[in-house]
Amino acid sequence: MKSFLIMFIALSAINTDLYAAEAGMPQLDPTYWASQGFWLILIFTILYISISKFYLPKIKDNLDNRENKIKEDLENANKFKEQSEDKLKEYEIILENAKKEVSKIHFESKNILDKEIQSKKDMIEKDIEKELVKAQKDITELKKNSISSIQKISENIAANIIENISGEKLNESSIKAAVEDISKKNIGKYL
Amino acid sequence: MASNPMQQFTVHKIGPEIKIAGIDLSFTNASLFMVISASVILLFLFLGSKEKKIIPNKIQLIAEMFYTFVAKMISDTAGSKAKPYFPFIFSLFMFVLFCNMVGMLPYSFTVTSHIIVTLIMALFVFIAVTIIGFLKHGFKYLSIFVPSGVPAVLLPLITVIEIISYLSRPVSLSVRLFANMMAGHTMLKVFGGFVVSLGVLGGWLPLSFSVALTGLEILVAFLQAYVFAILTCIYLNDALNLHH
Repeated sequence: MKSFLIMFIALSAINTDLYAAEAGMPQLDPTYWASQGFWLILIFTILYISISKFYLPKIKDNLDNRENKIKEDLENANKFKEQSEDKLKEYEIILENAKKEVSKIHFESKNILDKEIQSKKDMIEKDIEKELVKAQKDITELKKNSISSIQKISENIAANIIENISGEKLNESSIKAAVEDISKKNIGKYL
Repeated sequence: MASNPMQQFTVHKIGPEIKIAGIDLSFTNASLFMVISASVILLFLFLGSKEKKIIPNKIQLIAEMFYTFVAKMISDTAGSKAKPYFPFIFSLFMFVLFCNMVGMLPYSFTVTSHIIVTLIMALFVFIAVTIIGFLKHGFKYLSIFVPSGVPAVLLPLITVIEIISYLSRPVSLSVRLFANMMAGHTMLKVFGGFVVSLGVLGGWLPLSFSVALTGLEILVAFLQAYVFAILTCIYLNDALNLHH
């Protein structure tokens, strides 16, 4: 809209008076057209040369550098990632081996300990048996001894009882025979 | 202050008169603002490419954004064959953009609001594209005027229309930029004049218009530089990749 309006003004200005700068548009005053063209071309040429020769290559370099750097960094990151994955695998293998070794050592030491325990147990059992046998012998001897001493004591007691009750002394050998007889009959109760 | 809104476009010479072979080539305010725009571009690019950092600072980032913006524009519209013309289109885009933007500063002069300036640029693009077209394709380049798949009856008419549209390219290219810039600045000036003439009581409405227009004009300044550059790319594409 706006530009059409201005176009209309411009065209009407051209139609009425081409060089009427004072009345309408200073743009249509040709006094300085040559000057503007000259300076435009000069300045734009300088601008173009300095931009194309100095600044654009610099900016391009910088952009390329950044892109390369990013690419490189990404590559490095990938490499490091792979390395770390390899290391992780290695670590897992080492861990697995260690676990195996641990269970092996565990098993072996358990076996050795079991054997030792078994042999010690056997030895102790043998000792205990020996002791038992010896103790049994002692006991039977003690029993025999005790039976004979009990007989003697019984003989004495019997002689004393008879003496006290009847007032007469009995033959020692007959008492002995009687006690022996009774004890033989009852020995099964005590042994 | 209620001066002519077109007065801002007057060209007057600064310093001594320079005459070469009877032609007045004096340094004018237009030339001054061309120099200022070009200097700003060069300073900006200098600061933007001074430190080659992997992580750019702000100005470097902006310079690189301009680079990638123009590079993408060219590769999108004209393909990879247009790569050798990248510096020219980049310079053109930057020059038009910065002239437009410098023109937005108060009391400055808008170089691109002069038809002669835009016409020279448009004619240069037009002639260069035509030369490139003939150099690349020889007389086959004339087939650009004969579109394929057109009924034979319509062909003469279409060809005439194509020739007219081709020849009007420099006019449309230059007038588009010139008219947009001039219209915008005239409107700003008119509304500015209203603000002054309506005073403290009534001036607020035109002032708000002025503020809004300033934003719009900054957009237009960018847009027109973009349009100028992208049309150059499209013309270049026609010359490089003949696909009619």
